[in-house]
This record gives sequence, C-alpha cells and structure tokens, in this order.
Amino acid sequence: MNDSSSHEARQPPPRSIAERVSFYLSLSLLALVVSLIVYSWIDREDRPPILSIELRSEIRQVDGQFYVPFNVTNRGGKTAESVEVVAQLSCPDGVEESGSQQFKFLSSGETRAGAFIFSHNPEPSQLQVRVASYKLP
Amino acid sequence: MAQPQRPYGNNIWLNELSELVGGASGGFLFGIPLIYTLEVWWIGSQVSPPILLCILTLTLGVVFSLNCVEGFRASRPSRAIDIIQESVEALAIGLTCATLMLILLSRITSQTPLTESLGKIVFESVPFSLGVALSKLILSGEPGWEKAQKRSPSKDDGSNRSAASSQTPAGTLADLSTTLFGAVIIAFSIAPTDEVPVLAAASSPPKLLAIVAASLIVSYGIVFVAGFTNQSKRQQQQGIFQSPQNETLVSYILSLLASALMLWFFQQLSWDDPWYLWLCYTIVLGLPATIGGAAGRLAV
Repeated sequence: MNDSSSHEARQPPPRSIAERVSFYLSLSLLALVVSLIVYSWIDREDRPPILSIELRSEIRQVDGQFYVPFNVTNRGGKTAESVEVVAQLSCPDGVEESGSQQFKFLSSGETRAGAFIFSHNPEPSQLQVRVASYKLP
Repeated sequence: MAQPQRPYGNNIWLNELSELVGGASGGFLFGIPLIYTLEVWWIGSQVSPPILLCILTLTLGVVFSLNCVEGFRASRPSRAIDIIQESVEALAIGLTCATLMLILLSRITSQTPLTESLGKIVFESVPFSLGVALSKLILSGEPGWEKAQKRSPSKDDGSNRSAASSQTPAGTLADLSTTLFGAVIIAFSIAPTDEVPVLAAASSPPKLLAIVAASLIVSYGIVFVAGFTNQSKRQQQQGIFQSPQNETLVSYILSLLASALMLWFFQQLSWDDPWYLWLCYTIVLGLPATIGGAAGRLAV
C-alpha cells in the first residue's frame, strides 16, 4: 500500500485542460507550417530566374526632375541575386541620360518597385529599360 | 517532490498564459538580435523547402534535448511524452514570435512570396525556439524544479514581505541602472549596424506606433506576467515608479534614451538630422533595448 502511494506521489500531475489546448494549438501551427513548406516544395518550379521590368504610367515631375516608377518581377522558379536594372534616355536633341538600380534579392514570384530619375521629360519612345544582370545565390 | 509555485493559484488559464508568456520572453531575449540581422533575411529568402524541413527537424531535436534538462514550464517535464509536447509548444511559440516580429518590422508583407516568408520565419524561429526552451535558465537563473525544491511557500512569502519593506530610493536607482545595463547589453551590438536604417526606412507611422506598443507589451509580459523569480516581489515593491504600468513606461522611456545615445555614439545619427529620423531610428532600436532592459530588471 505504501509502495503504491509513494509511486503515485512520484507521478507528475496530469496536464491541465489549458495545457492540452496549448499543445493542440501548437501542434496545429506546426502542422500548418510543415504543410506550407511541403506545398511550396511540390509547387516549386525548377526554372532559372525569369526577370521582367515594367514601367508604371504615373511619371511625377518634382523640382524639374522626372520620376519614372517601375516594377521588376521574377517569374522564374529560383531566387535571383544582385538584380541590376538599367534605363537609357535618348532625347532628340542628342542629350543622353542613364540610370541603374540594384536589388539584393528577388525571390520566385516577387515584385519590387523603384524609380529612375531624369532631368529631361522621358517620352516612352525615347526611354529604354531592361534588366541587365543577376547572379544565382 | 515539492510542487512548483503557481503565480495565479488554481486558475489554470492564467497560469498557462503566464507560462507561455514566460517561454516567449526567453524567445524574445534570444531571438531579437537575429531578427535585426540582414543576412538572415537574405538566407531565408533563398533556402529551398527541403532544407527548411531539415532546419525545423533539427531545431525540434535541439529543443527536445534542452527540455530534457529544463523546460519553459513551472514544472520540469519528466516523462518522454511531456518533453515531446513541451518541445512542440516551444517550437510553436518560436514560430509565432518570429512571425509577429517579421510582420511588425515589415520583413514580411502581403507582397512577400510564400517561399520567402516561410524561409524567413523558419530561420528566425530557430533562436526564438531555443530561447523559449532556455527561458527559465536565462531569466530565472536556475532550473524551476530545483527552485521549487529549495523554496517553501512560507519562505517565499517572507522574502516578498522583506522586499516590500526594504524598498528605498536605492531600489529605484537599482531598477534604473539594471534597465540601462540590460538595454545596452542587447542593443549595443545592433546600434552600429545597417539594419536600423533599413528597418526605419520601411516603417510607416502606424508601424512605428505598433513597434512602440509591442515594446511596451513585451516588456510588461517579461517582468509582470511571465512568472519568473522576482515577479511577485516586483509587484509588491513601493517606490517612485514601482507600479507595473509606471515601471514599464519609465523603463521604456529610459531604453529609448539609451537607444538614441547609442545611435549618436555610433554616428548613425547626428544633430543635423531631422527629428523624424531620430524618432524612427530610436523607436526601431528601442524594441531590443526595452527587451534587454526588462531582462535586466529581473536580475535585481
């Protein structure tokens, strides 16, 4: 009798309802994260980065300078590192202006925004923008 | 075997909340420096899903081994099933805290792709989860089960009474100095880095308000909800700013001042900079400084 009572005393107390609720919530959260990782693994395309740049329509003019906003997107399957975008403005009067911008990382499906700044009004036909380079991480 | 002290008596929900907040407090203390690290964001952006699963599994294994020594709960887990359950909970707390911090600091937005978000969350959750498992060792100084064996309820009550009666301006001064000490320990290594300007640049005024609120809530949680060593003692202290709300607020202001000073010391800010820049940088660095300050006050 004494042995059994001392054995019972050594037993840790059972988990309370609150502790069980915490555990099941934690387990659900962990299962969700693992499921999302597995989903992104299955859904992942093994294609190299496909980078595109798109000029947005709203050009701002502030203090005699023209701000040309753009979006650069990675539609490929892999992350691109050190993505460089360049813009070249060639005016009819012979004036040329250029700008460049670098993005440290561009994940698959990610879009980043930026702007080139020119001192001449950039007509769409005079402005060339392109993604110049990237490297694989 | 002596039962561990429960800060909220028989209220299982409040006791549970206290234990979870205690675990999260250790997570914040351990995880915040890595949240303020650019390289971890970048690494998280490019890691493939199989590696993320490996990292989660490894983290669970390390947390399990830590929980074999001491868990984040008041009672030490003894059976294997309890250790496994507590390890899952520690990992979930780590994942939750890391996600909240990444959203708060605009490292995850609605525009962030799923794989990048998962990478950042899993990488940042590693130190948070380890911090949860180590929370009792970090913040209370000794394993909870050992403490429970050493202390009897009557002795504990006596120490609380003596703490309340011995409260003097020297105690307030000690609080101020330990807040400063803790703030400097955590934030000094973050202040000179590029992360502060990067995070400040991404923080809109509503985000800054959210960071202020998060700083106050985490600080209050660490000192007054988590149920660490001196929690009840602190709640009974009388002094210039010893009510929980006052102490949290004054400590936060002190941490902000320390943050501004550290940023100025490391030439991140100069007197010529606009006031808004000072405000942004100081609030961003104020978050880790406040967490360090709260941990410092627990040491008193």
